[in-house]
Amino acid sequence: MTIPHDPAAPATPRVPILELRGISKRFTGVQALDDVSFELHEGEVHMLLGENGAGKSTLMKVLCGAHTADAGEFFHRGEPVVIGGPADAQRLGIAVIFQEFTLVPYLSVAQNIFLGREPRGRLPGLVDHARMRREAQVIMDQLGMTLRPDTVVATLGVAQQQMVEIAKALSQQARIVVLDEPTAALSDNETEKLFAMIETLKRQGVAMVYISHRMAEVFSMGDRITVLRDGKKVGFRMPGETAPDELVSLMVGRKVDMSYSRTYCAAPGELALRLQGVSARSGIQDVSLEVRAGEIVGLAGLVGSGRTEVARAIFGADPIAAGRIEIFGRPQTGGPTQARRLGAALIPESRKAQGLALIRSVGENLVLASLPRLFPSGLFSPSKAAAQARELITRLRIATPGPDRRVGVLSGGNQQKVVIGKWLSAEAKLFIFDEPTRGIDVGAKAEIFSLIDALVRKGAAVLMISSELSEIVNVCDRTYVMREGRVAGELARDAMSEEAILTLGMHHA
Amino acid sequence: MHEMTVRAEPVAGVGKLIARLKHAGSASGALMMLIVLCAVFAFSTENFLDGANLVNVAVQSTILLLLALPMTLIIMTEGLDLSMGAVLTLANVVLATVAVNTGGVSLALLAALGVGLAFGLVNGTLVSRLGIPPFVATLGTLGAAQGLALVVTDGQSVVGIPASVQMFYSGAFLGVPAPIWIAGIAYAAFHGVLYHTRFGANVFALGGNREALTLAGVRTRLYLVAVYVIGGLMAGLAALLLTARISSGHPTAALGMEFDAIAAVAVGGTSFEKGKGWLLGTLIGVLAVGVLRNGLNLMGVTSAVQVSAIGLLVILALMIDAFRGKQS
Repeated sequence: MTIPHDPAAPATPRVPILELRGISKRFTGVQALDDVSFELHEGEVHMLLGENGAGKSTLMKVLCGAHTADAGEFFHRGEPVVIGGPADAQRLGIAVIFQEFTLVPYLSVAQNIFLGREPRGRLPGLVDHARMRREAQVIMDQLGMTLRPDTVVATLGVAQQQMVEIAKALSQQARIVVLDEPTAALSDNETEKLFAMIETLKRQGVAMVYISHRMAEVFSMGDRITVLRDGKKVGFRMPGETAPDELVSLMVGRKVDMSYSRTYCAAPGELALRLQGVSARSGIQDVSLEVRAGEIVGLAGLVGSGRTEVARAIFGADPIAAGRIEIFGRPQTGGPTQARRLGAALIPESRKAQGLALIRSVGENLVLASLPRLFPSGLFSPSKAAAQARELITRLRIATPGPDRRVGVLSGGNQQKVVIGKWLSAEAKLFIFDEPTRGIDVGAKAEIFSLIDALVRKGAAVLMISSELSEIVNVCDRTYVMREGRVAGELARDAMSEEAILTLGMHHA
Repeated sequence: MHEMTVRAEPVAGVGKLIARLKHAGSASGALMMLIVLCAVFAFSTENFLDGANLVNVAVQSTILLLLALPMTLIIMTEGLDLSMGAVLTLANVVLATVAVNTGGVSLALLAALGVGLAFGLVNGTLVSRLGIPPFVATLGTLGAAQGLALVVTDGQSVVGIPASVQMFYSGAFLGVPAPIWIAGIAYAAFHGVLYHTRFGANVFALGGNREALTLAGVRTRLYLVAVYVIGGLMAGLAALLLTARISSGHPTAALGMEFDAIAAVAVGGTSFEKGKGWLLGTLIGVLAVGVLRNGLNLMGVTSAVQVSAIGLLVILALMIDAFRGKQS
């Protein structure tokens, strides 16, 4: 089996392999796509940019037939076509590689590649495993994959699963592949392999729509760039004729200052947090640091350097083996309950998994951590809870129709505000943020930071973990840099630069 | 022969079997439990290791295996069938009644299979079409089947089972007891279906990633219904062995049997999420439950205490797996 290649493809004038004209899609109350037109040519990587909620996912789902467009036309190699369901998309050779993989964990690589299209065996219903393995091997060889077709998918890493996903798409004769932030979960090394694979596909004439949030790859991999905002197409550029600043301003619709407004702390207050020689089995060793009221202190370092583990140790989520942790001068020896009682709040990296009850309402989530304070008698009063929730919604400018709305339907930025509000309501004075802007769009980031700035100006203390070095440099009063479970160094406000942080945080050869 | 990793293929040697067990990991808890149980009973009772007793354990485990096989598939789809024991009971009294009135097997077995088919269809439809959680849906049909069993018999036992039915439990062919033949064929059939057909691959996918199956254009609901229908039909088949074994139809004959079946599947290392399942593990789990009940019987422990012991067995097996999972 080979990936088909049409030798007569790039004739002039080139007919796009897929053209969208005036595609619109409306959900209750939201115009997700508004008159979007889009051309895709064979052998190109078409970058699709936009903030969260700009309509990228909807466009992707319209392409793969998961949603049906309300208006607009599709043309496949110049011929009008209809995409009314997944079967139509498959027939046109369109495959979407979602961020959440569509693989079955306890089936083999080969079985996953051919799921629902297994080669038939001698009797009806039987599967010809030998042929399936052989054909899977051919596709994997074409992509330069070194996996064995018998390997069970559950044992693979994210990058390998992504490759299986791509192999699956190609086995369906896909000529149009949509990649949704394919590098989001990959290491540098894995990213390079993916890029090599994309180059291979390009040479074979496969057209790709590539959704990305990373400027570097937009310019290194993209042949053309389309920007969406609020469901509309707001820009079409060639990589050579534009610059990151312009793309960002197209995405947000206004010139954003990449630095965040911050009133840096002139005179730090009382000692809010002190760690002395803290070690834990989770991998941190001899960590000492201090955070004072009024300060935003950064905790930088590579992924896996122990930053999250420090946060978990402070909050009592992991037991410590040695050392001492003090919160507002009092020893933290217990678990999260004691940490909360001492005035600490942890806003975890994974909001969905750890910070929020997604199917509960905004109001319920906001009062969740402060039930003992609000209702010391143990009797719950809905009206009092709602009043507290409404106050926080106003104060944090959470974009929700009301406290009854389910948290799960809010945008990432607003969800993050709900987590912060939850702890404000609990009257926390020490906030530990783990990647506070992960998955949040550019506009909402600025809002989150002004919120954090407001917190410290009112006397709170903040320890902020971030992988975005520009955020640390712009926002923090000073920062600690971690390396391999230890504090590698501390940088004061005027010594902080992305280069300085990287130098401290890099593994020494 | 295909060489799918992690899969229970026809065993071609003890070394290969051990390698597979190691690979499967989660079923090793079950095998350890089985070996420990056998060792304990070998020392603490006089005749556990007698040939006759071991055959007895195997024969007594056959009915449970017939339930545990489909239960494995159902649990792999992240489902559950609590009605299996009650459906088996209803099929038992229906089979007994028809057999007594017709004096033969065929119509009686057809009636029992019909009962299973009907309840399987209802369970499958409730779960797949109406989206009712399997726990609740099959709890409802458990009540319905149990109630019907009492109504059909007016609370009395049905006696006078013809010999043609009884031979399915007490008879033998080529020196091997009839129920072992039936259970063996059933196991082989389930193995073939799960590992060598599209249906089997879809069972893995139903629990592992239903979205993937839908996107692949597979009619997932149909397969989900089929899995519950297989459960019902197997309960109908098990009714033949049960009726032959107790030589009667009894309105509480298989009361709580779904507990043993779910326990055997759980002990065998089939997970309640992500479509992780293993048929050989279920066989080991069934034997572990069978050995435990037999050994406790030999020690004179009452049936009520045996239920507690099986509960402990499940918890222990899962603890071993959880511990191993943490280590790796």
